[in-house]
Amino acid sequence: MAKKVVEVSSLVKQYGDLRAVDGISFELYEGEVFAFLGPNGAGKTTTVEILECIRPLTSGSAKVFGYDVTKREDAKEIKKRIGVLPQDFSALDKLSVKENIDLIGGMYEKKLDTMEVIKLLDVEDKANERFENLSGGLKQRVGVAAALVNDPQLVFLDEPTTGLDPKARREVWSVMENLKKLGKTVFLTSHYMEEAQVLADRIAIINKGKIAVIGSSQDLISEYGGLKVLVVRKGGKEMAKTLQDRFGGTTLNHNGDVFVKADDVNEMWRVLSTLTEMNLTKEIEIQTPTIEDVFLKVVGGRITEEGELT
Amino acid sequence: MRRTLIIFKAVTKNWLRSRSGLFFSIMFPVLLLLVFGAVFGGGGTSTYSLFIQNLDVDGTPTPLSEGFIEALNSTETFAIRTIPGDVTDLRSYARDVLGPLGGNIRVLAISEGFQNDMLNGTLKVRVGISYSTLQTVYEYFEPFLNETERMAMQQGIDQMGQYNASLPDRKASLTLILDASDQSSGIVRSIVMSVANAFNYELMGARNIVNFEEEPFTERQLRTIDFYLPGVISAFIMTNGIIGVTTNTTEFKRRGIIKRLSITPLGKLEWILGNVLSQTLLNLMLTAIIIVVGWLAFNAQAIPDIFSIVFIFIGSVLFSGIGMVLSGLIKDVEAASAIGNAIAFPMMFLSGAYWPVEFMPDYMQTIAKALPLTYFSEGLRSAMIYKYTEGIIINMAIVSVLAAVFIIIGSLVTRWKEK
Repeated sequence: MAKKVVEVSSLVKQYGDLRAVDGISFELYEGEVFAFLGPNGAGKTTTVEILECIRPLTSGSAKVFGYDVTKREDAKEIKKRIGVLPQDFSALDKLSVKENIDLIGGMYEKKLDTMEVIKLLDVEDKANERFENLSGGLKQRVGVAAALVNDPQLVFLDEPTTGLDPKARREVWSVMENLKKLGKTVFLTSHYMEEAQVLADRIAIINKGKIAVIGSSQDLISEYGGLKVLVVRKGGKEMAKTLQDRFGGTTLNHNGDVFVKADDVNEMWRVLSTLTEMNLTKEIEIQTPTIEDVFLKVVGGRITEEGELT
Repeated sequence: MRRTLIIFKAVTKNWLRSRSGLFFSIMFPVLLLLVFGAVFGGGGTSTYSLFIQNLDVDGTPTPLSEGFIEALNSTETFAIRTIPGDVTDLRSYARDVLGPLGGNIRVLAISEGFQNDMLNGTLKVRVGISYSTLQTVYEYFEPFLNETERMAMQQGIDQMGQYNASLPDRKASLTLILDASDQSSGIVRSIVMSVANAFNYELMGARNIVNFEEEPFTERQLRTIDFYLPGVISAFIMTNGIIGVTTNTTEFKRRGIIKRLSITPLGKLEWILGNVLSQTLLNLMLTAIIIVVGWLAFNAQAIPDIFSIVFIFIGSVLFSGIGMVLSGLIKDVEAASAIGNAIAFPMMFLSGAYWPVEFMPDYMQTIAKALPLTYFSEGLRSAMIYKYTEGIIINMAIVSVLAAVFIIIGSLVTRWKEK
């Protein structure tokens, strides 16, 4: 059993009448990538900032490496051991990449060699470039480098790809995959389904301050993702009627594509056999449920690109 | 301390590489010093244009009217130009002819008969003085005189009285026409009156009874620029703190830089101290540049000493503290900049940094007494120029107390944790 790095129990954060975090409990284990997935205002950043010891909690308990986040002396120990990429990371504009990482590194008693971290993040050629001249993706990479400069055991990445274009997002993902290879424990928050599914070992779907479900993406999809769907492109009305009569659960979209839901593998084979009998010449594909389907199922909505719940 | 120095180094580097930061912190004060120095303290003598119409002409101007103009000229205050004698309406001439030439209108008319009236007036005054002196002598010695002596003296005095009464009672006339909006009109009026009075005394043969001597307050010969120089330094140390620190810190806060640093082991006081040290260095650089420019451009006399350096440090703490208080209370960068400006600019002009507080109306002097810059600029002036120990100590004590108060409030309102 891996060692517990974070232990949160019945955590509550209240702002006046608003309960931003509503009695959540979860753990993080050494070496895993754990993702908080939820829309804006779900309580992701609030929870992370409580764990980073920069926001007080209202009730419940939160421990990082066994240290209590509410105790001043414990907070000092926690801060030494964590690395953080905050939401909307920024640095001193007129300082170079190296100088900015040196600045953050200088705050710790022990730190890695700055150039070593810069190489790790593959930004060597930009080491002497001023922060203000970097692209959004490069700035995030500098942020991750700054988060690693104290060689932390736990890294918080708060919405690391928000606002980035798809190419820059992929670049940051590759950086995060490297963190896992380095054996870091990563706490990721995101409103991008794909990001959480691709990167995280375990996902907690959070909405309105509560954790709806928690588990590995495979487990969540198996439990909440629903049925696999076989799609016959341009199958047409007649095929839809035949499949509906035999298997039920068949729908037709305005392009003439036919969708058949299959309860299990055996049913999928039966549908395929039927299509063979019908001398099918159309293109077919099998759609497997994703974490988005899980989210739709447990939260009852989707998240837009901007992170809003619809 | 190590973290404080790292913050100091980073914040200073970030500032030194910012063109707008350098302009407003260093270049703008230098430009202002150059302008102030050139206008008020460049060492040259100001001259005022003065148009003179001399109507006391008898073929050529009379010696006394000519002498009066020469006396005005010898003050080296006026650039004198002549108005023809045939101009009858001086006001219309000033408006229609001199007005379009530009500049302020100052016209002096020397009336016809100026010399005669002056001589007659002198004679009448001198005879009058002799007459009253004889009367006084007569009254004093009367008891010691016999009847014959008494009658002879009385007769002489009466004859002198009659002669004095027969002299015409006219005064030489000068008319000075000035523009009410002309700020130098008071100076011009005073100088013309001084010259006229000198003529009065000279013609009457009066000697100076009151002897007047002027000595400099310090051993060095100080000029107006020496007053401005510490004023400009103190005013910009104030703006660098109140506007610079407020705007920068609010910007760092908005961009999450302070939050990022707060997640590290860096403490709030280490952050504040790093910023104060950076401000101190900036202000010492500003002081050095201003003094060098003052020396080179205006031969200014300011000499910084250890007191000046200590004062600059305490001033940096004070105004950085005020900046920290404002940035702790204000979230929005634009609002922080606006409020910083709204506090700094009135303080700059009401505190006596640029001109003596005594020049201001009473109610403004009361306001000045409530402004920290008043004590800072006074103290810095005492340290750099007057070498006035009491002034240094009193002002340093006041500035130190204020610095402690604001830095404590600043550290209390600087948020190192989210809510």
